[in-house]
Amino acid sequence: MSNYPAGDRGFLGDPKAPGFLGWIFSTDHKRIGLLYFWAIVTFFCVGVLLGLLLRLELFSPGVDFMSAQTYNATFTLHGVIMIFLFIIPGIPAAFGNLIMPIQIGARDVAFPRLNLLSWWLYMIGALLAITSLFTGGGPPDTGWTFYVPFSTQTASNASLALFAVFIIGFSSILTGINFVTTIHRMRTTGMGWFRMPLFTWSLYATAWIQILATPVLAITVSLVMVERLLGIGLFNPTQGGDPVMYQHLFWIYSHPAVYIMVLPGMGVVSDIIPVFARKPAFGYKAIVVSSLAIAFAGSLVWGHHMYTSGMSDNAVLLFSFLTFVVAIPSAIKVFNWVTTLYKGSIALDPPLLYALSFVLLFSIGGLSGLVLGAASADVHVHDTHFVVGHFHYVMFGGAGFAFFAAMHYWLPKIYGRIYSKKLATIAWGFMFVGFNLLYLTMQIVGVKGMPRRYYNYLPEFTDLNRLATVGSWVLAIGLVIMFANLFHSVLRGTPVGPNPWGGASLEWQIPSPPPTDNFGENDPVVTHGPYDFKEAGIL
Amino acid sequence: MNPQQLTTVQAVDNAFIFILGVSIFMLLLITGLMVYFVIRYSRKRYPVPLSQKDQNLWLEIVWTVIPTLLVMAMFWFGWEGFLTLQRIPDGAIQVNATARMWSWKFTYDSGKSSGKLYVPVGTPVKVKLESLDVLHAFYAPAFRVKRDVVPGMTTWVWFEAEESGSYNLFCAEYCGVGHADMITTIEAVPQAEFDQWVIFSQPPVVDGEILLDRYGCLSCHSLDGSASVGPTLQQIAGRITKVKRGAESLELRVDRDYLRRAILDPEAEIVEGFAPIMPPFAKGSLGQDLDRMLDFLMTGESIAPLDGEQIAKEQGCLGCHSIDGSALVGPSFKAIFGRITEIEGRGGITVDAAYLRRSITHPEAEIVDDYPSIMPVYDQLTEAELNALVDYLKGIK
Repeated sequence: MSNYPAGDRGFLGDPKAPGFLGWIFSTDHKRIGLLYFWAIVTFFCVGVLLGLLLRLELFSPGVDFMSAQTYNATFTLHGVIMIFLFIIPGIPAAFGNLIMPIQIGARDVAFPRLNLLSWWLYMIGALLAITSLFTGGGPPDTGWTFYVPFSTQTASNASLALFAVFIIGFSSILTGINFVTTIHRMRTTGMGWFRMPLFTWSLYATAWIQILATPVLAITVSLVMVERLLGIGLFNPTQGGDPVMYQHLFWIYSHPAVYIMVLPGMGVVSDIIPVFARKPAFGYKAIVVSSLAIAFAGSLVWGHHMYTSGMSDNAVLLFSFLTFVVAIPSAIKVFNWVTTLYKGSIALDPPLLYALSFVLLFSIGGLSGLVLGAASADVHVHDTHFVVGHFHYVMFGGAGFAFFAAMHYWLPKIYGRIYSKKLATIAWGFMFVGFNLLYLTMQIVGVKGMPRRYYNYLPEFTDLNRLATVGSWVLAIGLVIMFANLFHSVLRGTPVGPNPWGGASLEWQIPSPPPTDNFGENDPVVTHGPYDFKEAGIL
Repeated sequence: MNPQQLTTVQAVDNAFIFILGVSIFMLLLITGLMVYFVIRYSRKRYPVPLSQKDQNLWLEIVWTVIPTLLVMAMFWFGWEGFLTLQRIPDGAIQVNATARMWSWKFTYDSGKSSGKLYVPVGTPVKVKLESLDVLHAFYAPAFRVKRDVVPGMTTWVWFEAEESGSYNLFCAEYCGVGHADMITTIEAVPQAEFDQWVIFSQPPVVDGEILLDRYGCLSCHSLDGSASVGPTLQQIAGRITKVKRGAESLELRVDRDYLRRAILDPEAEIVEGFAPIMPPFAKGSLGQDLDRMLDFLMTGESIAPLDGEQIAKEQGCLGCHSIDGSALVGPSFKAIFGRITEIEGRGGITVDAAYLRRSITHPEAEIVDDYPSIMPVYDQLTEAELNALVDYLKGIK
């Protein structure tokens, strides 16, 4: 299949929806995907900047340049932006919207207007979150976890930030409903369940968590708002309430949310590795089943955030056991990915480089998670920098690097232009070194006993903190190179054809950028699996 | 294995080391294979893949079963260790800890209380934890114990110090602006010294400044004129201050009544330029201490001059240092002033006030010959206390 005549920019230049308004009121899944993408990337950059400031403050013990209150507000903002505005919507809302309907041979998602509403809700939520910084009692200082009773007492503007989270949550629920319906109802002729690319499968599993778990978040933050406004005493022991109940409610959402963040990343990696190894995904069904198993079992392990909270020992026993159960499907995925490489024909292009980094960094995150899952070991490292390092390995090394892999893999499809592979590789080098310097050091300082959320620390932790801060600079250099390279490619990159990587799934069979109606007049008919490179004519 | 025999450190470290070992092995395996495959099967070497095989039931079974066995072992180690942390050994002594924004207070059965947690070496200690305001967490990395301190609920930890020394004690659950400074120490001292320390349990008449420190005031209000989270307390009496009472803004002169209001109901009048974040002290919770602190704030002086002997007893100095010339854990205090003392690696020096102060605040720096370097650092003493202590030592003939 050939590309367009020169000047035709596919959905990017759709003549029926010109200009800025044509974009922000578009119901085209690809345009909505790009709206999400640019908003998410912007928030990510803001979050990174805040993270760098936090590391800078930790360069020396005592106040370097931030007061305690400023530091507390900054880490709260860093957490809220990164979790609610970057990682949770990240891959599903941006690349899910851009790619998933094409992967199943659909013209759009099942509810295009609802899809647009989701983006608007997301932006309104983001705007409210920003407003909370400059109004009321000042920037929220509760941490992204909003633990009571501190969050019900603080004079800072926590209520508005909570409301923002509430709104963004609805955006997530609506996207989930949309994706589940789309995947059930919109698959084209021949696109059986087991011919779906693994990325689509991972979105399917994720969407169910979004639908089932996010309402609990809405309830939880509503209760905190009610508590702040009316003082009904749900979480206040002097009024017969229980602060630990809040933690249960919060983690019933926020632990599954970890899988909302990382499952789509696993999907991206499951799609990329076969293409660059020219081999079908090893253990396709095992990967599918493990995605669903993670989605299910991951909903039952929230209590492992609470071993020291004062909940009963029986609860600790149960949650610790279930936590180790949920480690098994993740391990199965990793083994299948590695085996896919065996006897392949491997091109270490940037998408694969980032995807394999995901496998490694996610493994480090997952394995350090085993320490946290074990009831006794967790007691020592809980609420220390070990945990901070651990979840950055999972969230940033996992979901973040998968997002980067997805950018390098699919942006050429979306914009029809490709970046410099050399620069992408150099950027990767900086990021990989900086990343490990930063977060591995954090884990060590945590094992040595430095608690988290400390703007000030004991002098004995100085050297390691400095090393971590230097790591953050190296990482930042890599990020700047990576984004500069990608942004430049979007505008001036070398034009590419429909299938620059030799993929066998449907998105590679239409032009780059895709036309507004994806497949034109006739829906595609699927005759082979998503990684059948022989049938697809790649081999 | 009977978990009762393990210390908290062993209970945690056993699981930690086992999991870490397995994890590092798995990580090396995964990374090694990944890197090897990428090099071995590069497209340059193999433009066409050698295989299109995409499943193998036996492999799937093997790499499901082996990780399952491994993680179940990890689970079991972790759980067993956790039981050790939860079972208080027989013969444990109890200390009651009260956490508030942003200080710790430890109270003993004898009625004695302290901002540091004094424990005897070789005896298990159960610390009962209660919070006066928000969530805190008791975290002693050296003993691998951590427990949230939850308002409205009583939690506890236990641990046992095997060697005397000073160990960090952190608040590990985020609790607001003073969270990172809610640090104190666990002072593990020999049993004899501990007994001595606890017996002198009559709540002594204490200096207002010590009280301000004890109630955590000084975490946010300086005594040296520098602005911190709250206004400085230096020369606060009579100061003309702008405050906001509700929406109304007014100027007032700081007097005793104002200070009393500011402690009991801090949110009613907020000094301009400062955030309304001071936690209130409930009426009656301060007792007579309130008047002592007010005396100090109004006059800038202590009611009574400090008694060095009292401090030496309270701080436990006399547990290790005799006043009758006998050598205990440390050198005797008898006729210490002006004595020629042999310091390790430095030779003889004459004991003067400066040396005494150094040996209290930095005891590890100059060790008297033939004595072990085990004295805890006493850097929490106020200047006034330190002076009183040195004066007392001067007087022991």
